[in-house]
Amino acid sequence: MFSAAAESFLRQAREIHEEELRRFAGRVSALLQGPEPGAEAAEGLRRLHLTVAATKYPRRLDGRFVELLQTVLCSPKSPEQVQVLCAAILREMSPCNDLILRCDEIQDTKLLSLVSSVLLAQGNKKGEVAAVGQRVVKVLEGRLPEGQSALLLLPVLANVINLSPESLTEEQTDAVSRKLADWLRYASTQQGIVQPSGGFFSSPRTKQPAPVTEVDGAIATDFFTVLSVGQHYTQDQWLNVQAFSMLRNWLLFYGGQEGKAPNPDDKPGMDRSVTSMVSTTSTSSRLLPPKEHLREKAFEYCQRLIEQSTRRPLKKDDGDLQRACLIEAVTIMDIICKQDSSYVYRAVSFLKILHGRICGDATYARALLPIAQFFLNHSKLAAVDSDAIYKHLFTDIPAQLFHNPSLAFEFVQFCKDNSQLFTDTSSIFRHSFPNLFKFLAWNSPPLISEFVDLLPFLLDAGTAIEIFHLLLDLPCLTAALDIQLRAAALPTSEKATSDPAVKPATCLEAFRHPLYKSTFQHFLRTKSAPEDTPESLIPLRQLLGSLAGNPRVVQCAETVPVLLELFFRVMAESADGSLINQLVVLLLQRSDQLYEIPTFKDDVYRVLSSQLAMLCKLHPALVVELSTEILEFSGAVSNIQSKEPIFTHVVWAVGEYLSVSYDKRCTVEQITRFFETLEAVLFEITQLRPLASTPSCAPRAISVLMATLTKLAARSQDLIPRVSMFLSKMRTFVQSPAVTSVYCEEDLEEILIRATELMNLLKMPSVAQFVFNPPMDVASTRLQREVNDSLPLALRMVTHLLEPAPGCTPV
Amino acid sequence: MVWAFVLLSPGGQAGQAGQAPCRVLYARAFGTSPGTPLGGPRQRLRRKEQLLVVARQVASQCQLLQSSLGRLSSPQLPQLPDEPVSLQDAPGGLFQMPPGDPFPDRVTVVWLSVLALACALVCDPQENLSLAEITLRRLAPRLLISLRLLSPGAGVLLRPDAADALLDRLLPHGQMLFLNERFLQAVDRELGIKASR
Repeated sequence: MFSAAAESFLRQAREIHEEELRRFAGRVSALLQGPEPGAEAAEGLRRLHLTVAATKYPRRLDGRFVELLQTVLCSPKSPEQVQVLCAAILREMSPCNDLILRCDEIQDTKLLSLVSSVLLAQGNKKGEVAAVGQRVVKVLEGRLPEGQSALLLLPVLANVINLSPESLTEEQTDAVSRKLADWLRYASTQQGIVQPSGGFFSSPRTKQPAPVTEVDGAIATDFFTVLSVGQHYTQDQWLNVQAFSMLRNWLLFYGGQEGKAPNPDDKPGMDRSVTSMVSTTSTSSRLLPPKEHLREKAFEYCQRLIEQSTRRPLKKDDGDLQRACLIEAVTIMDIICKQDSSYVYRAVSFLKILHGRICGDATYARALLPIAQFFLNHSKLAAVDSDAIYKHLFTDIPAQLFHNPSLAFEFVQFCKDNSQLFTDTSSIFRHSFPNLFKFLAWNSPPLISEFVDLLPFLLDAGTAIEIFHLLLDLPCLTAALDIQLRAAALPTSEKATSDPAVKPATCLEAFRHPLYKSTFQHFLRTKSAPEDTPESLIPLRQLLGSLAGNPRVVQCAETVPVLLELFFRVMAESADGSLINQLVVLLLQRSDQLYEIPTFKDDVYRVLSSQLAMLCKLHPALVVELSTEILEFSGAVSNIQSKEPIFTHVVWAVGEYLSVSYDKRCTVEQITRFFETLEAVLFEITQLRPLASTPSCAPRAISVLMATLTKLAARSQDLIPRVSMFLSKMRTFVQSPAVTSVYCEEDLEEILIRATELMNLLKMPSVAQFVFNPPMDVASTRLQREVNDSLPLALRMVTHLLEPAPGCTPV
Repeated sequence: MVWAFVLLSPGGQAGQAGQAPCRVLYARAFGTSPGTPLGGPRQRLRRKEQLLVVARQVASQCQLLQSSLGRLSSPQLPQLPDEPVSLQDAPGGLFQMPPGDPFPDRVTVVWLSVLALACALVCDPQENLSLAEITLRRLAPRLLISLRLLSPGAGVLLRPDAADALLDRLLPHGQMLFLNERFLQAVDRELGIKASR
């Protein structure tokens, strides 16, 4: 495929020098100007194309050569292949300054299409798009030359209106609208005639053209559409296909009525559309203005397509097209109803029936989205209850079809497009978020950025806790979904519930095991269930550990830190003190209960610890309010090893915020209690003769413990002697042989320096008190705000004061 | 609308030493998005870079999907170039690129892996994505044949006219077409292709 040989070829093309290129262009130029530019000229043009395309910076081609390319392109004598290659080179070079191409005089539709492709690539600086649009419309309106058809021009027109819809006047769009309506509605229903194969002995049989059929083989009894089948097709049938293919955008740009909003005095829907049902037969609609005429034909076409799209196709691949047609038809109906609400009544009953027919068929699931969108847009007007549709969409579809990546993507887009639905606390949409996360759990890489957009809409005080748990367990959800799929694929014989007495050996067995069933069901729930958490998810989480290496699980795990940060960012803006407290407690609890993927745990700890600091800053009183939980957490030495980042930040928070200035309820007893707990922890990890069971801890933990103890002592000065004595022992600690073998020299030096600085600070208790407990308004200076950074600076300042360099006097 | 079609070589997996970079082999843009600086080499440079960013993102999504499906990153080629190549199970996907990165407006990219290459359509988010997937699944096997992607050599680089001819039928000026199987056969007859499904 793209082999090393091709790679080197590409490099050669890039490295061709200007001079060589000029000479080669000259050779090709000669060939092009020769009597009959043939295969050799084509080959030369191909190589030129590659040379031009291979580099990001533009290649200089001689102005006359570029002019020659344009001349050859437009010359009727040039072979088609050469014309195509000239156009390709011109497009590749665009924008070209030396372009003399114009489309004004071109009559031939093939040439016009080719030249338009070059002009439209220029970028519209000189109004090229409008010029092309004008020319195409002019040709379409006039009499086409013999043997030519509008077929090649419709795509050009579609491109023009997408790029610059204002290129056409209302008169022009009206004229085209009329033609589109005719092509849509009145294409021939006979199959095209096969050209007789000829030959001397064959007798020309004038075969009667057969009628077109439906995709299931039945003879078509109504007008021709893209789902009509024939052996050969006529020109007008091709035009039918083209017209439908561009219909949606055409209606979007030109179907609306400027300044003609539906009359608010009319009763919505029913009355007006009853009249329109009566009056708009296919003959009388011709008398309608072009917009309305096209709208009517388009609506009929969509109705017919919808009817055709649930037939069983003879060719399997036609099924895919049927579904694409269905989606397009519903979308166009939606647009029509937005532009003219008198169609709503007709559409609503039709689409309800359609929904009933396809809602049980998984292959039609993607079509349920535009149907739901239609009802979201119009059901109020039609006074129709469509809750059942939304319920089915949000409850059943994600649970059954999370593994379909296209559906997953479109479903999430649907949610984003209708995000206001999630903000209503009572709605079905909001309660279905556990289902939505299944899409992300299974298809993480393409959907993570979509969920970053969607998550803020799902989060509020009522859902925050459940979503927090859900995010932390997202990789478990992936594993559970994997098992659910595999369990469903098993033959029925193996699906019996397993023996409760026997412990399951594999996750697959656990799926049907009574002990684990309810936990599985909790992970796989389709609706929000905040009160419903089973006894403990730990056993299942551990069992699922066997899937921790599964690539999907790993990909999912990588999305969690991003979503967690976003989660906390939203919480920071909206959560009140009570919710923050709940989150902190859960954070500490859950730090023990995470899915066992090493990098996953590290990343989650990193995010949780920094967010913990943020939450404490937002609501400093939580240190006092949650003193029980925090005491318990910070008193457990095992936490230093298993969750060092979180431990460190918890201890830091205690040092920062356990103070009367942050919460009047903070008592001396509390300070003393924390002090004693932390002192015990520090004591255990800094033993001179560590036991085998003593953990070796990150130096940062030791530092932060020392600093916190010092801060607490500064606030309750009876504790100062105890801290000072402890700190003075640190010198012995860092020099002890058992310790030097465990920690590296730089770390030990840092610890010693820190201990010394803290000791010095405590020798000036009033300074210490100021540094660690500044009055609240002083605390808003930049220095104090960067709390993690300011302490060392403050310490160094004080150390300088206490141990002045020779020649300096303390202030 | 469809802004561009891209045929790319994803290159080697990230992290492997000496792997080939991601390359755009053939690209066709169908107009300049509003907001692009117009005129001169900057416009062209912008276009090339936008398409390369799309290609890289497709390559990355492709590799991630392959690894989640537990497949090797470069599938085995059929032994004989004449063997009909089945792309029925070819992995593909959809993703969005936010406004400004790299196109001024939000776009949705639909992609399909084609043996060791990949192709992609860059569309407006409101486009019919089902039809985009169908269009890609039709373009891919026909590109394999027209560009002789299965035989060794640099065929893919040297046949822009063959690729153009295909696009002119199946995606003329970026217009996706609702072609049923019989219409598709008619197109194949015109192009002289015997395409397998």
